[in-house]
Amino acid sequence: MTTLITKTITKICVPLVILFSISLLLAGHNNPGGGFIGGVMFASIIGLLYVVFGLDNIKEFFNPDWAKWFAFGLLLSCITAFGALFVGHNFFRSAVEFVHLPFIGEIELVSAGLFDVGVYFVVIGSLLYIFKNVGDDK
Amino acid sequence: MDPFNVITLAIFLPFIFAGLIPAAEKILKHYVGWLAAAVALASFLLIATVLPHVIHDGPISGAVPWLPSVGLDFGLYIDGLGILIAFLASGIGVIIMSYSNGYMSHKEDLPRYYMWLLLFMGSMVGMVFSANTILLFIFWELTSVTSYMLIGYWRDKPESIYGATKSLIVTAAGGLVMLAGFLFLHSITGTFDIPTILQNEALIQTVKDHDLFLITLVLIFIGAAAKSAQGPFYIWLPNAMEAPTPVSAFLHSATMVKAGIYLVGRMHPIFSGTDAWLILVAGTGMITMVMAGFMAFRQTDIKGILAYSTISQLAYIITMYGYTTYQHPGIGVAAATFHIVNHGTFKACLFLVAGIIAHEAATRDIRKMGGLWREMPITFIIAVIGALSMAGIPPLNGFLSKEMFYESSVEMGAALGSPYTILIPVIAIMGGVFTFAYSIKLISGIFLGKRPKDGLPKHIHDPCATMLVPAAFLAFLVVLFGVVPSIPVHNIVEPTASGILLEPVHLHVKLWHGVTTPLIMTIVTFILGILVYSKYDALAAWQDRFNARHPRISVNYHYDAAVDNAKTWGHKISSVTQPGTIKTYINAVLILIVVLVCIPVILLGANIIPQTLNFDIAPYEALLMLLMVVAGIAIVALPGYLPAIIALSALGYMVGLLFIYLKAPDLALTQVLVETLSTIIFFLAIAKIPQKFKEKIPTTTLVRDVIISVAIASTVFIMLINATQGIVSPFESLSHYFIENSLTLAGGHNIVNVIIVDFRGYDTLGEISVLCLAALGVYNLIHSRSEEK
Repeated sequence: MTTLITKTITKICVPLVILFSISLLLAGHNNPGGGFIGGVMFASIIGLLYVVFGLDNIKEFFNPDWAKWFAFGLLLSCITAFGALFVGHNFFRSAVEFVHLPFIGEIELVSAGLFDVGVYFVVIGSLLYIFKNVGDDK
Repeated sequence: MDPFNVITLAIFLPFIFAGLIPAAEKILKHYVGWLAAAVALASFLLIATVLPHVIHDGPISGAVPWLPSVGLDFGLYIDGLGILIAFLASGIGVIIMSYSNGYMSHKEDLPRYYMWLLLFMGSMVGMVFSANTILLFIFWELTSVTSYMLIGYWRDKPESIYGATKSLIVTAAGGLVMLAGFLFLHSITGTFDIPTILQNEALIQTVKDHDLFLITLVLIFIGAAAKSAQGPFYIWLPNAMEAPTPVSAFLHSATMVKAGIYLVGRMHPIFSGTDAWLILVAGTGMITMVMAGFMAFRQTDIKGILAYSTISQLAYIITMYGYTTYQHPGIGVAAATFHIVNHGTFKACLFLVAGIIAHEAATRDIRKMGGLWREMPITFIIAVIGALSMAGIPPLNGFLSKEMFYESSVEMGAALGSPYTILIPVIAIMGGVFTFAYSIKLISGIFLGKRPKDGLPKHIHDPCATMLVPAAFLAFLVVLFGVVPSIPVHNIVEPTASGILLEPVHLHVKLWHGVTTPLIMTIVTFILGILVYSKYDALAAWQDRFNARHPRISVNYHYDAAVDNAKTWGHKISSVTQPGTIKTYINAVLILIVVLVCIPVILLGANIIPQTLNFDIAPYEALLMLLMVVAGIAIVALPGYLPAIIALSALGYMVGLLFIYLKAPDLALTQVLVETLSTIIFFLAIAKIPQKFKEKIPTTTLVRDVIISVAIASTVFIMLINATQGIVSPFESLSHYFIENSLTLAGGHNIVNVIIVDFRGYDTLGEISVLCLAALGVYNLIHSRSEEK
């Protein structure tokens, strides 16, 4: 699987897919997508990177601790969930706010979106953590 | 400051500082113990500021709403009884934590030690001021847990672990029984709040007349007895002596074992004055007093003597609480309360001396000692004061409460009439005789007489001031309280006794009463005590013969048998239910799904195959489905893992394709991505195992597996075909709600996503937590295996 063709295609794909996964995450509230799908997409492109170039080669210049990613994601989700308690609402109550920005137009800020970002990080972190550990196992 | 806030602060100060101890240790190094002692002192002073209010104005109550939906508050009830035990917990806490600075080696894990000590102290103070039974129960079990951690402080000693486990099993189980008792009490009175019951005489009368009275009393008393090591529950206390000696002095003589006494005192107004109370409480107390006194006399370990003597001394207190049914209650309760104070001081003092000796002589075996008074003169004096007070020799404080104990026993016997007029004082004297005998044995065994040649290290001397001063201070209190009894009596015993009896109590304690019955009993005790001490060898031989003949009489034997049985059965059951092969688990889950789906379908009487089937399938869909069937057959038919996995992922991608035809982009996207990832992970995993299916599957297994797969496939088929028919009549579709409200309530057009992150956010939070745990689980599986290699 380490032919020149796959290597070249992977190099081109990585940034595109990562951007696509972020757009899936952000679009999720109104269009197909969301934290879970975005996260799986991110994880699969990094997985491809690992497979094509070999885990050991990749680790030399790109070796994040995925455990920190899912820990951060879980923390973020919990904070958004409990956040509502501190402003006097029910657990998990979400807030919606429409903001008008110049040049961009009207965008929607929703606290559930932050929760989705947490899901995104948990999915990326835990999948790649499993991935790396299984792959690393000699 | 408001007394309620002061006490709240006194309770939570140790908890807060327990959290800060590890950080403080980084700065203070091994001086961290002094910080812990300072915290204990602060708590002590805070509690002391409340005492004048209680003496003048009676008990103080206060509450902060906690769980209003079930009628529970964080409520405090501050009265003399609570303050007395809290004084012991924090005051002796100061002494113990100072002493520990000398006792504990600087190489030990000091933050853990002081952290648990402070947590224990906080729980103890919290428990005695709790106004409702549930809060009391929580703090009660917290003291059990902290005691468990402290007994097991030396984690690599099997005896510590055994002792810690035993204490946890006995005291925590007792606590649970007590909780059952509290629930009975709640069902009788309708309230968890203790002051509400105490202040309502009609309610107390209701409790006493109720059918559930006896069972409630028994359950609550079992909790108290387990904590105070009374009756058959004494077994945990001697084993708890594996803790560091300051811990034994603190928890297992002065404070935690007083929790049961506290509970008996607290429940006294509700339950006392009945025959059941007299028989249960005083009966248990008297039997324990004599038996434990005898066992203490038989021990050779210093801490063993002190442990059994603690059990025996606590039994004095329990007995006196039990007396109140047939006598004017003043004397028994007041004497019991006074004895709590006295026992706290002289026993803690003796434990500290035991710690000093163990620390200097590197052994606790009394047979190896003797003649130590020459090397350790100061320790000797302190020990003599403590032991003589325990033996009840004037003018020390133990004499005073012992006299009161005899006095109340005589009154009790007189009130009950013949044959108890004689019997009860005789039992009381028997308790006193053993107490006298083991006190003498303690002193003469350690400090007097001759020492075996190779028993001890050569250079033994008095310890440093850090260890000596706390013990000396307690010895000073023993003398002070004996010579000037009015100090403890007016300041703490009277408020406490009136807290228990709910009426003002005035007590006149003097050293010299003239020649009275109790004084004669004391003299008899001394004479018999010396006699028993001189007959030690004969008694010991008799007991050894008796034990050899009746091995099953020991409670420990039954405890060990029960624990062993629990282990054996637990192992048997878990080896059946948890065999460790993944196939078994999957089979169990699949069969459960079949059952769970089939039962409702049959019960609802739904047609398993609906009448109106829609066979309007487009040609390209039919082709796709045909391919899926081919791929499915390929998975089982192909000979190696690699081709099978490729067939499996082909099937998965085709399902994704089908979702696109069915206009479900979300699902299609997810399906394709998940399929990709799982294929990659499969590849990674099979790279490490043989590529061919080598094993030969037995026919029976094959048949079983085929049956299970056909069953699960049919179930899923039935489920889906029913789902496509719409909702079965008694239920309604949920989707309308989400379609209508997703934009207005959550501001999103994508209903699937809104359900995931908002309407069902709680589920999602659970799912992502599971995902994190799964990742950690995989890590553990892989790394535990590589460690085994």
